[in-house]
Amino acid sequence: MTKVADRLFRFRGLLATLVSRELKARYRGSVLGFFWSLVTPLLLLGVYTFVFSVVFKPRFPGSDPYVLFLMTGLFPWTWVATSLMEGTNSLTANAGLIRKAVFPAEVLPMVSVLSNLVHFLFAIPILVGGLILGRSLGYPVGGWEAILFPAIVALQLPALGGLTLGLSALNVHFKDVKDIVGNLLALLFYLTPIIYPLGFLKGYKPLLWAIEWLNPFTPFARAYQAVLFHGALPGAQIWIQMVSWAAVLWLVGCWLFGRLSDSLVEAV
Amino acid sequence: MSVAIRVENLHKSYLRMAPGFRLRTLKSALLQRSLVGGHKEEDTILALEDVSFEVEKGTAFGVIGSNGSGKSTLLKILAGMLQPTEGRVEVSGRVAALIELGAGFHPEISGRENVYINGAVLGLTRKEIDRRYDDIVEFSGLTDFIEEPVKNYSSGMYVRLGFSVAIHTDPEILLVDEVLAVGDEAFQHRCLRRIEEFLAKGNTLLLVSHSLDTIERFSDEVLWLEKGRDRLLGSPRRVADAYRLAVAEREGQAHLAAKEARQKELQGGPGAESGEAPDVDVASGGKSPEGVEAGGSEEPRRWGSGEAEIQGVRLVDSNGEEKYNLESGEEVCFEIDVEAHQELSDFVFGIGVFTPRDVEVWGINTGLSGYASEGLKGKTRVRLVCPALRLAPGEYLIDVAVHARDGYPYDYHRRFLSFSMVSSSRGVGVYFPRYRWEFDEAVRWKPPSQDTEQD
Repeated sequence: MTKVADRLFRFRGLLATLVSRELKARYRGSVLGFFWSLVTPLLLLGVYTFVFSVVFKPRFPGSDPYVLFLMTGLFPWTWVATSLMEGTNSLTANAGLIRKAVFPAEVLPMVSVLSNLVHFLFAIPILVGGLILGRSLGYPVGGWEAILFPAIVALQLPALGGLTLGLSALNVHFKDVKDIVGNLLALLFYLTPIIYPLGFLKGYKPLLWAIEWLNPFTPFARAYQAVLFHGALPGAQIWIQMVSWAAVLWLVGCWLFGRLSDSLVEAV
Repeated sequence: MSVAIRVENLHKSYLRMAPGFRLRTLKSALLQRSLVGGHKEEDTILALEDVSFEVEKGTAFGVIGSNGSGKSTLLKILAGMLQPTEGRVEVSGRVAALIELGAGFHPEISGRENVYINGAVLGLTRKEIDRRYDDIVEFSGLTDFIEEPVKNYSSGMYVRLGFSVAIHTDPEILLVDEVLAVGDEAFQHRCLRRIEEFLAKGNTLLLVSHSLDTIERFSDEVLWLEKGRDRLLGSPRRVADAYRLAVAEREGQAHLAAKEARQKELQGGPGAESGEAPDVDVASGGKSPEGVEAGGSEEPRRWGSGEAEIQGVRLVDSNGEEKYNLESGEEVCFEIDVEAHQELSDFVFGIGVFTPRDVEVWGINTGLSGYASEGLKGKTRVRLVCPALRLAPGEYLIDVAVHARDGYPYDYHRRFLSFSMVSSSRGVGVYFPRYRWEFDEAVRWKPPSQDTEQD
């Protein structure tokens, strides 16, 4: 279990090189280059603003302006979804590398997680700009609690990293895993309080309980919404949930990967 | 000498990939950390079976074998990519491996970035790579192409870059599969020099190839793998010859009739049946029974397919008298009696002179001398005349061989006979040239002077 973490640390130079290559490769040959990382969330913000303030006017208590509430949960979710999609497939996609050369395979899923983290962080200034704009328009959004944002990211990283590591190793044995993950993510999106605040589900007790306690990303979404949107401190329960999910997913993911890594080269 | 690589009773099984195994395979991978654990024997393929050998530090070890003999599996196990199914593997030292052509390179990105990625995989930090970057590029000879995406590289360029990065990471053990043969002649020379430096520093090379030339050129010891088993382990010359024989035989060129006829005639002659070169104790004059190796693991002293046979070798002086105690600088003739059991058009006669400590003093054959063979029939006596054999005093041994141009041995006698050299003058080494000291007036000597001229 510690072997995987050790090797990730030992090959941190490789990890950094591959992440920067991944980022560069994504925009290679494009005119705007890195600006796409800013343009995409900006366009999203614009479109959603139009849709949700002119076309639909969803009314969730305590989520006004809705577009900022939505963005606060959507950006971290995009990190989760793209990391899991790319990361689960990362070993199978690089089978040639793993089979033919001495290569630390655990680096590959982590490259997916980290490069998508960078994209997530690129989108944050857009969100912050929106929040500042909203505040100047008189909405009670944002506050000094935003300084806790890095702490939430730091807890989400091991949770997401562990899950991606474990799923990538399983996908080597069952190629179905990546399809299951793709479909589950579409479902999980609605089972995470992103487009609605968790309190909205008060009338559906069993569903509320399941989403609150069984979905690892619920506490993270709630924490982002608290510190960025509501300008509030996440409660102790949310912190405990985040730390527990981070520890459990990281340890289980590393254990699974470590167990399967001895036979990885043959199976991939 | 300490051991760099130790392999004991190594077995490696692969799983036959059939549908319906997925769940059992995953279970086995999880619980036993091996894919084959939960499977029946018939569902697995044995890639390596009971292979054992040791490689000493500072030596070059070659592995030959046909396709599918388990060479690459062995290399991947040594590199730590695969786990042995059974047995023990110890590799002590930092390892760099060049497993497959272009493996580890990302085709879409530049050579420069690939150097950094490759270096990082081999365990270097960015700073360490920065420091070696210029050397790496210069050695690879790719200065003009280093910013190009590597997908535009030729296979030779891949190898040059890959080898250059690997050798510049200062590994203690270098594992190389095949790939070196791809580089051009100039690069191979540079590789050879670099590998010699590498070995001289006490590092270890393990080279896998089915190119006998490469193996013979680089290795101190060679292992021949066949169908996953270690068939023969020994000196490059011997293993390569045995391998050539086996290959020729498999290709149906073994001239079966001639061999059978010969085997009847000569019990325990150089039989090609096993390709394993049974020992014949030539020096004692007797022909020992097939397969008996004098001194246990000692190398056989005679091997070959037997189309032509060396029946005797003599050293003769200028008066035509047989003589094995020679004065340095006197005329010597090596007489070799050869009988061809069938008409041959492809043949080379050769002689090698060695010290008792296996230093090759001189080697010559008719091919090197520029003779192109046309025909050989029946018995003949080949004479190699040296008007003045100037060797240092001491004991010498000679190898005599008749083989085909590609090295396929008809009859190879190792250390066939010995002779000794005497000389009234002194010196060290193995060679006594004609020489003369010259001094000007600035140098004075006490009488009586040393022997200042030697003929």
